[in-house]
Amino acid sequence: MSNGIEIHIDTEACMGSGNCVYWAPGSFDLADEGHAVPLDPSATEEGRLWVAVEGCPVGAISLWRDGRPLVKEG
Amino acid sequence: MGPTKTDTAMAPFDPNELKDTVAGNVRDPYPVMAELRRQSPVHVGPVDLGTGPEEHYGDVPPVTVFGFDECVQVLRDNETFSSTIYESVVGGVMGRTILQMDEPEHRVQRALVAPAFRSKILERWEDDLVRAVVDELIDRFAAQGHADLVRELTFNFPVQVIARILGLPRTDYPRFQRWAIAITSVAANWDRGVAASEALRDYFAEVLADRRRHPDDDLISELAAVEVDGQHLTDEEIFSFLRLLLPAGVETTYRASGNLLFGLLTNPDQLGAVEEDRSLLSQAFEESVRWEPPVTVILRRTTRDTTLADVPIPAGADVALLLGAANRDERKYEKPDEFDMFRAVRQHVGFGFGVHVCLGMHLARMETRVALNTIFDRLADLRLDPAPGQDVHVHGLAFRSPISLPVAFSAR
Repeated sequence: MSNGIEIHIDTEACMGSGNCVYWAPGSFDLADEGHAVPLDPSATEEGRLWVAVEGCPVGAISLWRDGRPLVKEG
Repeated sequence: MGPTKTDTAMAPFDPNELKDTVAGNVRDPYPVMAELRRQSPVHVGPVDLGTGPEEHYGDVPPVTVFGFDECVQVLRDNETFSSTIYESVVGGVMGRTILQMDEPEHRVQRALVAPAFRSKILERWEDDLVRAVVDELIDRFAAQGHADLVRELTFNFPVQVIARILGLPRTDYPRFQRWAIAITSVAANWDRGVAASEALRDYFAEVLADRRRHPDDDLISELAAVEVDGQHLTDEEIFSFLRLLLPAGVETTYRASGNLLFGLLTNPDQLGAVEEDRSLLSQAFEESVRWEPPVTVILRRTTRDTTLADVPIPAGADVALLLGAANRDERKYEKPDEFDMFRAVRQHVGFGFGVHVCLGMHLARMETRVALNTIFDRLADLRLDPAPGQDVHVHGLAFRSPISLPVAFSAR
């Protein structure tokens, strides 16, 4: 089931820390070039996706739905 | 210098060697830090964290950051908050490392060493290497039914893991461990630290020359061969990086694994839960790094006038980011002083943050997970077992971990 979320990664900012892969392994991977790439957003429950967003050391990840960036609640 | 007779045993490690001068002789700095944070998340001017007023030289007052959001803001703004302050702090011992570099140089250099520390690359070391090291150490005391896990396990395992990842011969482990102790306690004994740094350079020069001729499956061969966009690491860059691995890769994991064990041993319900369901180990470790980060402070220097939490800060100010205080910011975490592996997982700054975030965090996570799994597989009914009057606690200011972890168990 799709959760309607799209993962956007700013590959210029991404430093390849691998933290997103650690927190949400089904939804992120590291490319050989060293930056993160989005996989399936629905492979991870939304709360854990936000941990990956917040846990990105350089703030390179944003979550979108219906063409608009999401803001974390609470 | 070949191995001598005393080299056949591991150098005995006295955790007290790293206790006062290096770590700061403080039992619990967090209540004072919480009080100062409530006054303001950012303080300009010397602060007293319980060891007397901070010493300060120069015209620009030092800045201390106690708040979570403020630490994140500093660590993400590496143009205003420069890492060059580490030139004077550790440059003399380590040589020039990524620790002290700013962008764009840092990004290029880090990209050269980063691939070796990705979790997928590290997987190959889990069983044959990390588990084997921990198993061997446990073999030495399993039959006794009791042990001090700090003396007999948590200090010894990261240094042996790093030695094996570097592909060093076993006969070299004892002197490698002595250099590791000397370099990590350089603040306590400067001359000994500098001497160890020079000895390590000469030692690594021989190993590197050998690996250039005969590449093997180890980190030194990897560093010798690495190429990104036509860039290679020079020999001197490799030596500096390898030296940095001792404090960065040995001391931190030694302290972090001790803190996780302390958190679990003092919360037997959580110990039981994680023993039962090993998939909880990851979140238990993250919680321990939040609750008691092994390195509690990192430094930056301002390159221009700025403000932080509405507090004006002049250019040229030394900024101390208290990661441990930030990780216990009550604006971010409920009951922040409690070790609770079941709390909702949130970001923490125990590995730092921003472009300099700990390069070895995936190695630390893997090593600690494998170590704890091995401990649980081998030692049943694990519990704290202090001698009468023995006060088991986490100790230190800049670096924190338990000085001893006396435990009793039954071997499986």
